[in-house]
Amino acid sequence: MSLRALWIISPEKGEHASIRFSRRFATVELRAKRLAGSSYVAVPEDDCFLQLLLTELGLSGSKQPFVVKRDDCLYRPRSPAVELHVTGAGKGTLWPVLAISQAPLILACLPLVDASPEQRPPLSSLLSVSQGLSFLAGLQTFLLAPGSKQDGEGLVSRLALLPSVLLQVCPLGTPLELPLSGTLATPSAPTSAGIQKQPAWRTGLHRGRAVVNVSVAETVRSMQYGNRSRQDLWDVYGTVACKCEVEGVLPNVTVTLSLPPNGSPLQDILVHPCVTSLDSSVLTASSVDSCDGSAFSGPYKFPFSPPLEPFILCSYTSQVPVPPILGSYQLKEEESQLHVSVVLKLHESVKNSFEYCEAHLPFYNRDQMGVVDVKVSSGQLDVSKEKNLLVWALGQKFPKSREVTMEGKILFSGTAPGPSEPLCTGLTAYIKLYFKVPDTTLSGCSVDQHSVQVYSSAKPRIVTSRELHSKDYRIWNSTGTAPVSSGQMIL
Amino acid sequence: MASGWVERVSAFCGSPSRFLCGTSSEVFLAELLRELRDDRANYNVKVLLLSPLCEYPALLCPSDSVGEETALELMSIFAQSPPKFVHFRSQLLVALTCVLTCSPDASSRLRAFPDFLDLLLQLAQDTSDLHGDAAQRSLRATACDCLREMEVLYPGLLSQRLELLGALRHQETSRLHQAYAGLQTLVLRNVVYLLTGEKEAGAVHLKALLGGNESVGWEADQNLGAASGKNSTPLSSVILTPMGTIPTLHTGPDCKELRSVLSSLLEESYLFTPLSQAERLYRLTEVVAMVPAIPPTIFRAQLLRLLGTSEVSLLHTTLLMKSAFTDSLFSSEDEAFLLKRLVVLSQHPLLSAPEKLFYMDCILHFPENRPISCGDSDEALPVLLTPRLASALLPVVFNDSATLLARFNLLSLVYLEAGEEEDGRGLEYLYDHLTSLLRIVESGGKRESIVTLFRAAFLFLFHFHHVERYCDNLSQQLCQLYLQHTRFAPHLINLANQTQEKLPDSPWAFGLLKALQRVISQTPLSQVTRHDLSWHLKVLTRAAEEGEMSQHATLRFLSGVITPSSLSWSADWRLGNGILGVCRRLLVHPSLDSILIPLADVLQHLAGHYGDTDIRDHARLYYTLLTTLSREKLATVLAHHAEGGQQVKKRTLSCLMTEGEGLTSILTIHETEAAIFRLIETHWEQPEAEDLIQDETERGEADLETYRAQFGDAAFASQVTLKFLLTHTETRDARFDQLFSIRLHFSLTDDHYSELQDLSVPCLFRERPPPVVALTLKPKQPYPTSLHVSAIFTTQDGLTWHTTLPDIHVCFQQIFLPLPAPSSWGRTGRQAVFAGLWEEISGETEECASSLFCCRLEEEALSALVEKHFLPFLVSDPAHKDQFRVLLFLPPQSHVLLKISSEEDAVHFNIATDSWQLLPHINDYLLEITAS
Repeated sequence: MSLRALWIISPEKGEHASIRFSRRFATVELRAKRLAGSSYVAVPEDDCFLQLLLTELGLSGSKQPFVVKRDDCLYRPRSPAVELHVTGAGKGTLWPVLAISQAPLILACLPLVDASPEQRPPLSSLLSVSQGLSFLAGLQTFLLAPGSKQDGEGLVSRLALLPSVLLQVCPLGTPLELPLSGTLATPSAPTSAGIQKQPAWRTGLHRGRAVVNVSVAETVRSMQYGNRSRQDLWDVYGTVACKCEVEGVLPNVTVTLSLPPNGSPLQDILVHPCVTSLDSSVLTASSVDSCDGSAFSGPYKFPFSPPLEPFILCSYTSQVPVPPILGSYQLKEEESQLHVSVVLKLHESVKNSFEYCEAHLPFYNRDQMGVVDVKVSSGQLDVSKEKNLLVWALGQKFPKSREVTMEGKILFSGTAPGPSEPLCTGLTAYIKLYFKVPDTTLSGCSVDQHSVQVYSSAKPRIVTSRELHSKDYRIWNSTGTAPVSSGQMIL
Repeated sequence: MASGWVERVSAFCGSPSRFLCGTSSEVFLAELLRELRDDRANYNVKVLLLSPLCEYPALLCPSDSVGEETALELMSIFAQSPPKFVHFRSQLLVALTCVLTCSPDASSRLRAFPDFLDLLLQLAQDTSDLHGDAAQRSLRATACDCLREMEVLYPGLLSQRLELLGALRHQETSRLHQAYAGLQTLVLRNVVYLLTGEKEAGAVHLKALLGGNESVGWEADQNLGAASGKNSTPLSSVILTPMGTIPTLHTGPDCKELRSVLSSLLEESYLFTPLSQAERLYRLTEVVAMVPAIPPTIFRAQLLRLLGTSEVSLLHTTLLMKSAFTDSLFSSEDEAFLLKRLVVLSQHPLLSAPEKLFYMDCILHFPENRPISCGDSDEALPVLLTPRLASALLPVVFNDSATLLARFNLLSLVYLEAGEEEDGRGLEYLYDHLTSLLRIVESGGKRESIVTLFRAAFLFLFHFHHVERYCDNLSQQLCQLYLQHTRFAPHLINLANQTQEKLPDSPWAFGLLKALQRVISQTPLSQVTRHDLSWHLKVLTRAAEEGEMSQHATLRFLSGVITPSSLSWSADWRLGNGILGVCRRLLVHPSLDSILIPLADVLQHLAGHYGDTDIRDHARLYYTLLTTLSREKLATVLAHHAEGGQQVKKRTLSCLMTEGEGLTSILTIHETEAAIFRLIETHWEQPEAEDLIQDETERGEADLETYRAQFGDAAFASQVTLKFLLTHTETRDARFDQLFSIRLHFSLTDDHYSELQDLSVPCLFRERPPPVVALTLKPKQPYPTSLHVSAIFTTQDGLTWHTTLPDIHVCFQQIFLPLPAPSSWGRTGRQAVFAGLWEEISGETEECASSLFCCRLEEEALSALVEKHFLPFLVSDPAHKDQFRVLLFLPPQSHVLLKISSEEDAVHFNIATDSWQLLPHINDYLLEITAS
């Protein structure tokens, strides 16, 4: 459950990668040495580690087309844990090195393997691995949290804080908690010496007006093919975010999610660890199960004691009968020009009031667009600066008919070739929709203001909100071949 | 000053070995401690100064005595540091923990250990901050974590404090209760673990320890504390020990005390941060696993909360609990639920890719209640994972490559398992998926997608090599891909090699190579670019290694390539080399008899007409070999030996030319396992005492100025030459008995000397007398030093080796030189210089210093000592035994002057030097020579 070492790396352009921070935990290393006995492999120095890790992650030597060490076809799980082969003096295999990357950083650590050295235990039997993953993710959030300063500076100042943060959250290599993003956890006013124990994850006490904020945000993804042989796909998942400013050492709050009468049950519910208890029926519905009509469909009660900072109370997925916007996209190649025809229909159950709604039509592996002779029934059409993308801004509302169309011809007569994309060759092309609808959810899931219960002396102000937005919402050209996006649907 | 430290500390932590080249660990440690003691230094910098001690305690304190001193020093710094610098004090506790536990000799505890333990316990109990400064609380938290780490390293260390820790946890209402709970849980786990070895007495002891009843005198410190040190078993996880070997503590049904402690810890677990909670639960799982009297159902109340969690470490703990308790805690419904949960989590849109991959690994190692296969095969699918359930994890082209391959692997296993039951659509899907990856790569994917394609192809072949229709089709598709992108040749060769190695019975690789040979030879040469051609030759070379494969097509292709009419590209050396590479493989091909004539034609044509002389020469050589040698001889001549091959053939150009395995091993520098030879000092000879010219015959003015003027030439008297014998070490290895072209490289361990020149030794034979090596040192400061030595040499078989020699130690007296006075000067002149210098040194203060060293010596012993050690440096007349005057010159420009005289009580060594830093070394030296 401990880490032997920790690294934070800037992988800038592969060859110029550098270690921005590293920490070795000497006492854990001592344990590693005792546990592994003669098969002990010491943690190499920073430069050596960096080279080994970059090679293993396939980030080094971008100029050479094939390097056996990096590109061997033999399959080994390379994520989330890689093995590094240390050469030279202290040679041997370093395992399991966990690495997670999110631009502009790679975070890595080496968890302690607390098992006998004879046989390598499976990754999933080492608690230190999941601990390491959580800890790295926590550090990542801390380092890359959106700050007020310019991105580069924010990172530099947070890296500078890291030694003192580690002293608090992981002084000797055993992570105790995650660093709090934003400010350093300076404990606020001393807590009253009551009988109730303060949760370790609650950094202080709130004083002042009580406010509870609950917002449900749903994301809809879709792949539409406009093809009888290929079923269209869409799915919805939601998160319930809370910010609770309430008094007390261990305040009690209950949030209830409810569905409309014939709504389909919320599935795959995951809850924040501050939820005190769960009814088993809440967890029963699963997206990988055959849905049965008698399933529990709410209300879903979540009693919890909130931390001070905003948090995700729970998340769920849902199966809704129709996609919010149904589209059809047809391209026809006519000599050097493309004939484009698009129809988008907004489903009647969805509120016709968008914060924004845009359709993007990118064209790859062609020359730049020359003459664009395209008419739209509603909204506004723009050609991107790079001349490889049509942007159709639909504004806040669909027309009364709830249907918009685009029709016309594009001549690719530009002087320079446009961008390439190996997926979209020939007539394989898509429209990507970006939209956000405030105050609605597709699953119908909602939190009623009056259903939020707070057990405290002062009556709190309760704010609830809902929103729906799209992600990966694509409509494929039905005259081309579209890539498979879910095997489950094919079989 | 401060910024200098920031850089130095980060340089040290980044690469201690490089940093310590410029200084020594002793010096650096001393500097760190001095700065830490300095009251004026900024505390933020001081925090930083502790990090080398936290990260590399064993490097900075290489012996117990240094560790002891450092710890005492840090303890006193802690005692003196103002309480308001909480951060510094906390870091200091961490550093102390590291220094005290990481002493090189792990079995002995340092004497400062109990004091530090007391300090930690005192800090941990000090609740005076309750209503005061919250910052102080963090010091208490750090102290608890230090105690926790010490208990981990020395299991049982705190066993007598179990009750105290329980009480502290009970009282604490601030967030700190988590730290106490962690400590209590760990100590409890260790106590139970250690008591499992105690048979019946264990239960009584446990009761006593939990109740804090010390009168039941179980000497934990002796019994438990002793278990610490080198024994690693208490450190390993109990749950990970093989089934049936979990140590158990038989308490009988009555263990109320333990049960109540466990329930109260479990009840509060909700209040801990997820990371701590997961660890606590894991430790408690270990405890319950070791005490059969406690039913696992004690965890039941926590279970639902844990099953619904979004935290990876908490769900993981639940899985580990399941693997420890199986159906005594988890029903079959729970099991089914958990597996479905893992499938959901493995593809959940809100989780990060590493988490999802981790969950997929959990599926492959799912702890089933009743596992069917008891074999310890690495990956086994749970029975409940049906193709239907697993279909949620089918790979799609939108996946990142790690996810894609993990899913591909998982689903391959699923369909392989399902076998006949499954209607083949799953397998078809996987193959289609492989095809779409191929299409993407075909239309210009990045390097990552190319590698992913070949890995996926390998996985498919590995699992389904028996399904011919897919495998044949895959070969065809790969050939088509190759024709479009010949640069994939190394990937294809790699794929062929790996499938051949991992699936020795499968003919697939052979088929692929044959198909590649066919498509290459059928391509009209007019369409082949120079770039394609070099890849084609690589593939054909690999195909020529297949003994069973007919090589006629290859030869047709080769003769086409070298025909002038088709040769639209320049006939350069590289191309010729590529062609010769194929020919060389063909020369040793089993079917040589049937291809003899066309091969001879190709070689003859190359030898006569190729545009590069070198290629012509080698083609002629091959041609001659082919036409004059018998097959057996030819095979022997060209046989490429694997690693460590014999004799001179290694170096034949035919081998170098054609990338035989010999080439790589010849061009690689091999590393020796152990030291092969070393440098031994030749018996250290003092410089000869010169026969000084007597006074009268002296020429020239002998004074200090003339003497000093000589140093105008920077090279004057700036070097010391040491002589060594180069000899083999005792380890006998026949390969290294005769070594050639040895090049010795010396690297400095500090910056007191100028960089050293490499030295060459022509040869070293074990049976011959060792060669003498003269090493010239050029000091910047004349201090003792060590040198790292490495060497590159060649063995008889032509391989090049790199080896490391034992370090050389240069001691202080080896740097002494006699006064570099002009040779014409006699004793008087030297005495004048001595007098002049002595006067200067006594008068000046800056760099100069005088000192006195006394010891008891008989008069005769003194004469003998001077004779033995100082004769070459003696300035006074050796006959004048009342006072010896000795002048030691140390390059580049330091002097040590000694006036040695016997006084009534002792011998006095009056020392004067123009470089005060030399005093400690002189003192050590005098101590050494007068002691013997």
